[in-house]
Amino acid sequence: MAKIPLLKEVVKLIFSKPATIQYPREETPVEPDARGRQYADLNKCVGCSLCMIECPSKAIKMEKIPEGYEVPKRNARKIYPVVDYLKCIFCYRCVTVCPTKAYVMTSEYRLASDAPVNSRELSLSTLKKASQEPSQGDEEG
Amino acid sequence: MTEEVNKADKVVEIPMTLEIPVGPQHPALHEPLLIKVYAEGEYVIKAEAHTGYNHRGIEKLAEKKSFYQDIFLCGRVCGICNTVHADCYVRALEHILNKEPPPRAKYLRTLTMELERLHSHMLVLAVTAEIVGFDTLFMHMMRDRELIMKAKEIVTGNRVIADYIMVGGVRRDLNSEKIDKLKKILTKVEPRIRYYWRVFEEDVTLNKRLVDVGKLTPVQVTSHGLLGPVARASGVATDSRYHDAYDAYAEVPFRIVTRKEGDCMARSLVRFEEMQVSLEICRYILNHLPEGEAVPDERRLPRRFPEGEAFTTVEAPRGELTYYVMSKGGVNPYRVKIRTPSYNNIINTVPFYVDHTIADVPAILASYDPCISCMERVIVVDLRKGTRKRVSMRDLARGDV
Repeated sequence: MAKIPLLKEVVKLIFSKPATIQYPREETPVEPDARGRQYADLNKCVGCSLCMIECPSKAIKMEKIPEGYEVPKRNARKIYPVVDYLKCIFCYRCVTVCPTKAYVMTSEYRLASDAPVNSRELSLSTLKKASQEPSQGDEEG
Repeated sequence: MTEEVNKADKVVEIPMTLEIPVGPQHPALHEPLLIKVYAEGEYVIKAEAHTGYNHRGIEKLAEKKSFYQDIFLCGRVCGICNTVHADCYVRALEHILNKEPPPRAKYLRTLTMELERLHSHMLVLAVTAEIVGFDTLFMHMMRDRELIMKAKEIVTGNRVIADYIMVGGVRRDLNSEKIDKLKKILTKVEPRIRYYWRVFEEDVTLNKRLVDVGKLTPVQVTSHGLLGPVARASGVATDSRYHDAYDAYAEVPFRIVTRKEGDCMARSLVRFEEMQVSLEICRYILNHLPEGEAVPDERRLPRRFPEGEAFTTVEAPRGELTYYVMSKGGVNPYRVKIRTPSYNNIINTVPFYVDHTIADVPAILASYDPCISCMERVIVVDLRKGTRKRVSMRDLARGDV
């Protein structure tokens, strides 16, 4: 029976770089357009709740935008989607059904945390505080 | 004293029938299935399959969710072959809607399904190597499988669960930069697959454990309704990619791989050859990708479905997968029926464990110590009359032999 050079392969691999990635210390390379954490840009969001209705895993809840934020006039009901990332299956259906394309897509996959993992702070950070000088309307249109 | 000993007129012969539960935790692949094996000595005399450990009620859940939400639910029926499930379901929806996806989308669907076949076959072959005790090969194959997972991530945006297919097309398109990346990965993977193929063909350990083990004749395959590579390894050329010619399979050149032997080794080698064919299909698609739109606007898809029903098949890595979707109008399907190839292949092959050694039962092979559950009966041989009488365990305990 012919000999398979598996031994050669093994010896070669002893001296090569390990294939394993030491994850928390070393980053896992992901594609820039991999499906990671997504959140709504509230300058574009109109509060139509379509993403909440269409979400397959019911991970999205609509919440009232708290006081002290400048809400665009198009968002008459002043509500915005909050994604619970522990329920989210990252199918990006919310991204594709959004009528104003308000969702911001990132490739962030490291979501483990002690705090509740949702998009509340990220979404609210897209809005300007009301105490600042009035904005020049919705630049994204 | 010696005379007394010689006067013995009875010999109690106790044939041990061991009932060995294989599973339900990790019988071979990491899936919950219980195969009860009854063994006499080293040889299996009977086997039973017990399923239902992983019942999640997906078909019922599909009736509660909308047609579009079910695409993601169907993708989660199986982690390894999620694209084929989604593709089969979506094609049923397209049939009900009377919608035809553009050619570019069809080619991209085919590409993801072939990438899936590649990584699924590689996983199964690696696990085969692990079960026969060849852990080095398992590690090496799983490392190179990672390259195909990367290719899948480039195309779909995720390593495992693709969520790539939508009604009327696919969710994202390929650009020339991504195509170059994919071609590089394919050229890297091909020599590795050929190398492992040679290892399977020539290695002594694998040959001793796989050749002439678990033989299935073509008659057994057809009478028990076995599908996929299991059937093709016994010379039954069944392949719904060819018979059904769905998506781009009508235009992409490929061949059905069959072998005559029908043993475990033949099933492994059929998978290797299929991987070779899959690589050729992927390369053809990347070179001949038609121009045009592939991603439809999801916001313009109809929300309500007309009345109708559809029955679609797909060649999953494990065999023919079928979906039946019935719509009575509205937003929810009335019925979604799924039949997976593994169900046929696992339940219907149970009689074929008989007359193999325990070590050949695929599930017990690697990780389980056999445990003696019960000893069912003994045989009393009357030496004077030359007769045999079966006695139950209870009578033996009473001394009533």
